[in-house]
Amino acid sequence: MSDITREAPITRAAKWFDPRSRTINMVGFILNRITALGLTLYLCMHLIVLSQLAQGPGAFDTFLANIHNPIFTFLEVLVVTAGFYHGLNGIRIVLISFGVGVRYQQALLISVLVITVVVSAVFAVHMFSF
Amino acid sequence: MNESLYGPKTGEGAWLWFIKALTGVLVIVILFTHFIVNHFVAPNGLLTYAEVLKYYQNPIIPIMEILFVVFVVSHSLIGLRGIILDLKPSRSLLTAINWVFTAVGAVAIIYGVWLILTLVAKGASS
Repeated sequence: MSDITREAPITRAAKWFDPRSRTINMVGFILNRITALGLTLYLCMHLIVLSQLAQGPGAFDTFLANIHNPIFTFLEVLVVTAGFYHGLNGIRIVLISFGVGVRYQQALLISVLVITVVVSAVFAVHMFSF
Repeated sequence: MNESLYGPKTGEGAWLWFIKALTGVLVIVILFTHFIVNHFVAPNGLLTYAEVLKYYQNPIIPIMEILFVVFVVSHSLIGLRGIILDLKPSRSLLTAINWVFTAVGAVAIIYGVWLILTLVAKGASS
């Protein structure tokens, strides 16, 4: 036990961004976490923004008028993408945790990714064609 | 990682994992309903303050939204705690985090319920 070498934290952290050794399952897991954090941030903002509703008609209607900005539309598309991926993958995880479809977990993950991409594209087209 | 990606991890406990899974499914159900009802069934898609207030007079809406707040805040905080567990916090740090998250969750839920009930009250008096 006298020659344990530990890599520096910065080297360990840098490996987080190295895609070469990732399996598809790990990619799925990482995306689940990223979408989780994104959705949590959205939840905080959504709850704060809705407090404007309690302040009366002027505040809310003004806020809605300001929202017709393409940047906000783009962010909304991101939220829908994150929500769909996290939700569908969540269902997949629950199924597998209870033993259903374990043999198909990779195929299920790929279906989740495909559905997310398709739904996001449809939503984006719908939102940006106004 | 020496733990399965599909079950509770060290320090999480079967109960918390199960509640996370259950609230997750419930959130999907309510979110789906929330989205469709708020944007497609509600008159004009709730684009003004007056419409929102009128909409909240139907008792099923505040009930649905309150449940939504409870489930989504719980799911989010238990999930965040799971992510933090992977960083292997010490016993005392984990206890502190448990307290902080419980407090944040309570505050968020109380705030959400207050906001919903305020909207109902405002709509009833106007």
